[in-house]
Amino acid sequence: MPDEVTLTIDGQSVTVPKGTVVVEAARKIENLIPVFCYHPKMAPVGMCRMCLVKVGTPKVDRGTGKVELDTDGKPVIQMMPRLQTACTTPVSEGMVVVTKDAEVEHAQKGVLEALLTSHPLDCPVCDKGGECPLQNLTMGWGPGQSRFDYSDKVHFQKPIPLGDLIYLDRERCILCARCVRFQDEIAGDPVLGFDNRGRSWMIISKSDPAFDSKFSGNTTDICPVGALTSADFRFKARVWELQPVPTVCNHCPVGCNMTFDMRANEIMRVMPRENDAVNEIWICDRGRFAHHFVASPERLTTPLVRKNGKLQEASWEEALDLVARQLDGIRESAGGKAVGGLAGPSLANEDLFAFQRFFRETLGSPNIDCRPGTALDLPLDDFGAEYGLTSGTDLMQLGKGTVVLVFGADPEEEAPVHLLRIRNIAKRGGTLITINGRATKLDRFAEHTLHYRYGAETEVLAAMLKPLYDAVPPEGKRAALRGFGDLRGVLANASAERAVANAGVDGPTLEKINQALASATNLVIFYGQEALRAGTSVTAGLANILTLARKAGAPNSGLVALVPGANARGALDMGVRPDRGPGYSALKQPGMAAHEMFDAARQGRMKALYIAGLDPVQADPTLAEALKKVDLVVVQELFLTATAQLADVVFPVLSVAEREGTFTNAERRVQRFRQARRPVAPQRPDWQILQSLARQLSAEAVIAASANVSDKSRRQARRAEEQARKRTDWSYASPAEILMDIAASVPLYKHISYASLESALGVWGRKPNEAYYFDGTSYENTGGLGKQVPAGAENGGTLSLQPFNVRTFSQPAERPWKLIATPFLYDDSTLLNGSALLNNRKARPVAALNPADADSLGLKDGDVISIASGRGELRLSVQRTRLAPQGVVLVPLHVQGVPLVTVVEAGVTAVAIRRAEG
Amino acid sequence: MLYEKYRDEIDAILARYPSKRSALLPVLYIAQDAYGRLDDASIREVAEILDLPYTDVFEVVGFYTLFYNEDVGKFVLDVCDDVPCCFCGAEELVADLEQRLKVKAGYTTDDKMFTLRRVKCIAACDQAPVLQANLEFHYKVTPDKVPALLEDLRRKVESGAQISISGRFAEH
Ligand code: SF4
Ligand code: SF4
Ligand code: FES
Ligand code: FES
Repeated sequence: MPDEVTLTIDGQSVTVPKGTVVVEAARKIENLIPVFCYHPKMAPVGMCRMCLVKVGTPKVDRGTGKVELDTDGKPVIQMMPRLQTACTTPVSEGMVVVTKDAEVEHAQKGVLEALLTSHPLDCPVCDKGGECPLQNLTMGWGPGQSRFDYSDKVHFQKPIPLGDLIYLDRERCILCARCVRFQDEIAGDPVLGFDNRGRSWMIISKSDPAFDSKFSGNTTDICPVGALTSADFRFKARVWELQPVPTVCNHCPVGCNMTFDMRANEIMRVMPRENDAVNEIWICDRGRFAHHFVASPERLTTPLVRKNGKLQEASWEEALDLVARQLDGIRESAGGKAVGGLAGPSLANEDLFAFQRFFRETLGSPNIDCRPGTALDLPLDDFGAEYGLTSGTDLMQLGKGTVVLVFGADPEEEAPVHLLRIRNIAKRGGTLITINGRATKLDRFAEHTLHYRYGAETEVLAAMLKPLYDAVPPEGKRAALRGFGDLRGVLANASAERAVANAGVDGPTLEKINQALASATNLVIFYGQEALRAGTSVTAGLANILTLARKAGAPNSGLVALVPGANARGALDMGVRPDRGPGYSALKQPGMAAHEMFDAARQGRMKALYIAGLDPVQADPTLAEALKKVDLVVVQELFLTATAQLADVVFPVLSVAEREGTFTNAERRVQRFRQARRPVAPQRPDWQILQSLARQLSAEAVIAASANVSDKSRRQARRAEEQARKRTDWSYASPAEILMDIAASVPLYKHISYASLESALGVWGRKPNEAYYFDGTSYENTGGLGKQVPAGAENGGTLSLQPFNVRTFSQPAERPWKLIATPFLYDDSTLLNGSALLNNRKARPVAALNPADADSLGLKDGDVISIASGRGELRLSVQRTRLAPQGVVLVPLHVQGVPLVTVVEAGVTAVAIRRAEG
Repeated sequence: MLYEKYRDEIDAILARYPSKRSALLPVLYIAQDAYGRLDDASIREVAEILDLPYTDVFEVVGFYTLFYNEDVGKFVLDVCDDVPCCFCGAEELVADLEQRLKVKAGYTTDDKMFTLRRVKCIAACDQAPVLQANLEFHYKVTPDKVPALLEDLRRKVESGAQISISGRFAEH
C-alpha cells in the first residue's frame, strides 16, 4: 500500500497512513509520548519540546540509491544526531523510533524542569488541579526535584482578564500557543496573540471587546495547564468533587453534547462531551456559560392561580383541578375548537408529543402551533425533514467532493458550533459556498460568496436551478421527478445575466457556484432565519437544487434548516403545528396557526389559550389585549414571563437539568438529556402536567360517553366509548414511555428508544489516559451518541420538486430602505436569565447602517432615527458598520427595546428612515 | 487621520505588495514617526488601515524592540555595549554620552532631543565602538567624536530636515 507506512516504535511495528506524525503513530499502539503543545485537532508546531524522541531512518547508499544492509541483511539504521519532536516528525518507511531510554528521559526531565522554573506550584488553589496535564506529565516524566531556587521565580501580575469570560495566569502559562492556535485555526476569531519575547512573552487579546469570540471557553479546556480559567468556574470547586451528568444543550439547534458537572445539587460548570457527529469536542460560550437560569432564584416554584385579579400561590391539586374543570366546561359549551395551544421549540419531544395529544385527542382541538403568533413567526419548515441530511451523514467525515451551500444563514449567531464544523469541511477540501444578503463571518472561509439584494433571493435561486434543470436527462428521469413540468415555465426566463441584473450578484462567481453544484459528490445545504423569513419559495428553491442535483435522499447530502430553538425540529416532527400531525401526517382538518388564534381571541372567539414555553407578549406587547379577551389563559413556564403575568393559571416546570427527555437537532439527530439535579421546588415536567389534566378530562369524557348510551344507538355508543378510552390512555410513568409511544405512532421515529440513543455507550470518546493529548479534561461520552432519524426522501419513491416561483420585490418610492431582522446568539431569551457574565455580549438595541448610507442621511453613531414601514414605526439609535449592506437597515431580533413586531411585514419590509425629532 | 495625512505614502507602500498584511512594518514606521511612539490607539489605527485583526498588529509591535510605546527624543541613540564594542571603549562612550546629555541610558533628555539606550551587538563589531542614531550607523565613535556628532544631529533638527525615529531615512 503506497499510502501506508510501516515503522518501528520501541521495537513494536506499526502501520499508519502516510503523513501521520510519530506521536499519533505511537498512540495507535498505546505508546503515549508526552505532549503539551501538540493537539490532534490542530496543526503541529513543535513549540514545547516535551515530545522529544530518538528517530532513525534506513541508511541509503549515495552511490546506488539503495538501502544499505548489515551482515544480517537488515537495513542499517542511521539515527539522527539529535532528538526529534515526535509531534512534528512525519513517519517514513522503515523508520525506527525510540521513546524510552536514558537520553530521551533526560530530555523529558529537562523540559519539565525548565517549564516549571517560573511555575508558581500553586496546584492547591488551581482550578486545573486534578485534571492538569502539567501535573500528570510531571508525575509521569518529571525530574521530581528542581535545581532552581524556589525564591528566584519570576512573578507577574495576575490574573489578567483576557476578556469578561477568561482569565490568564501568566506564571502558569507554558506558552504552548494551543489557545492562540485554537482561535486562529478552529474558531476563526484571531483574537489571541503573543506580546513581547523571551521571559516577557505573554498571551494578549486586543480585540474590541477583548477576547471577542463565541468559542472562548474551549481554550480553558485545551490549555494544558491552569493558565486559562473561566470567570464562571474560577475557584468554585475542585474537579474531583464533580459528578458529570450527560446532557444536551438546550440553547440552539446544533444540540451540542455536554455534561452538567454537579457538586451535590449544584451545576458547577458545563463541559463538552465528545460526539464527532455533532460537536466534536467543542461547545460555544452560550452553551457553557448560560446555565444559570437553572438555579435562578427567579424560577417559578409553585402553581399560581389568579384570585381577585392577582396571581396567588396555589397547590397543584387546586390549580390542576381548576384548569381541568374550566377546560371541560369550555369543551362542553363551545367545543374543543375554542381552545388554542402554543408549545415552544425548547420543550422536549416527550412534552411536545403529549401536548399535541392533549389538544387533538383530549380536548378535540386542532389549534396548536409551536410559534408565538407574532409578526415575526417563521413559516413552518418541512423541507428540512423531507429533504434533510440523510441518516448516517457525519459532517466530521465530509471533505473533498462535498459542496456545502449556506444560504440566508448566519451560523455564528444561529448555530455557532455549525460554523466550526462547516469550516472544517472546507479545510478538509470541501467547497464552501455562502450566499447571503449581507456579509457574515462564514464568508471568510468560503471559496465562493455571493451577496444578493434582499428581496431578490429567488432570482439567484432560479439562475442556480436553471442549469441543473436543463441537465436532467430526458428519458424516464424527468418522469421520476414529480413537478418537473411545472418548473419549466418558471425557469424559462432564468439566467445568470438576469440574476446579475436583478439581484446584484457577481456573474463569474455565480458561474463557478453552478459548476461546483453540478459536480458535487455530496451536497449539504444549510439555510437559516433570513432564508426562512424570505418565504417558502426560497426554501423550496433550495430543496429543488438538492433534488435536481440528484442528491435528495442520497448519502452524505441534504438540507439542514436552522430553525431557532433547541428542539424546533422536534416540535415540527411531533406535529405541534396546525397543518400536520406527528411525523408530518396529513390532517383531515387543519387548525388555527398561532397568529390566527390571537386574531380569534381579539374577536372573542377563543375561550382558552394554553401556552407552554413561549412568551408571545414579550415579543409583541399588543397581544396582551387579545389575551385579556380569553376566559382562561394557562401558562407553563420556568419564569414569570410577560405572558405568564397575564395568565389565569401558571404551572411551574422543571428545567432541562431536572428531568429526562430528548431533543431533535437540526440534523435530525435525536439525543437524550438526563436529570442532573433534584428539583428544589415542587415544579413538574411539562408532559406530566399535561398528563394530569388529560386524565381528569378524559375521565369525565368516558363517563359522559357511557352516560349517553341511552339516547344513542348501541353501535355509536360503543364507538364513542372506545374512542374515549383510547384518549384516556394517559399512563406514562416516564418520558421513556412517551418516546415508546412516539416510536409506535411516528414512522420516522420507529427506531428511536432511550436504549438506542445510548447505543455507543462505553465505546465512544477518548479513553481517560488519552487525556494527555488534549487536556486533563477527558470528554468521554458516557451518555450515548443519539440517533439520526431518516429524511423523508430516503424512502425511495418518486421525488417531488416543490412549487417555486421567482418573485420580484418592487420598492415603494416613499420607503426606499429595506429592514432586515438579524438573529443574535446573545439575545433576550429567558434562557440567558441569571447568566450575568454574558450581559456585555448581548446584542444592543441599535439600527445598523452602512457608513455611506449614514453619511447620505447625515447620521452619526448614536443618532436616533425613526424607521417607518407600512405597518408602524420604530425608533432606534444608529450604529454605523460596514457589515450592513447599502440600502439596508439591520435590526436585531429578540432584543429588549426593539419592538420589531410593530414594523415587520411579510417578505421584505420596506421602510422610510429619518432623523427622529427630540 | 493617519491615512488621511499620509495617504500618498501609504498608498505607495500598499501598491508594493500583493496583500495588505505585507505592508504592516512600513506602515507602522510611518505611524511611529507621526505620533512619536506607538500607543494602543495608533496601533489600532494601523490595524484598521490594513484590515488586520488588532491582536495581530499588537503581536508584531510587541515582538520588535524598535517600536516604542513611550515618547522618545528626536533621535534615539543606540549604543552597542556587547563584548567586542566593550573592548574598544563602549563603556567610556556610554559614560561620556550620559554626562553630556545629562541622562542615564534608557532615558530621554529634558529637551526631548535624544533618547539614550544600550543595545546588544548591532553587527558592526569591526568598526567598534558603534552607535546608531535613528538606526543610522556611526562607526568608531570615540568620546572625542561625540560633541561633533551631537552638534550635527541637533543641526539636522533645526534645519527642519526629515527625522524618523523609525529609521526610515537611515543610510546603511
Ligand atoms: S494560556 Fe494555556 S494554552 Fe495558552 S499558551 Fe499558555 S499554556 Fe498554552
Ligand atoms: S452551538 Fe448551540 S447547541 Fe452548541 S453549545 Fe452553543 S448554543 Fe449550545
Ligand atoms: S513540541 Fe511536540 S508536543 Fe510540543
Ligand atoms: S559588539 Fe557592538 S556591534 Fe557587535
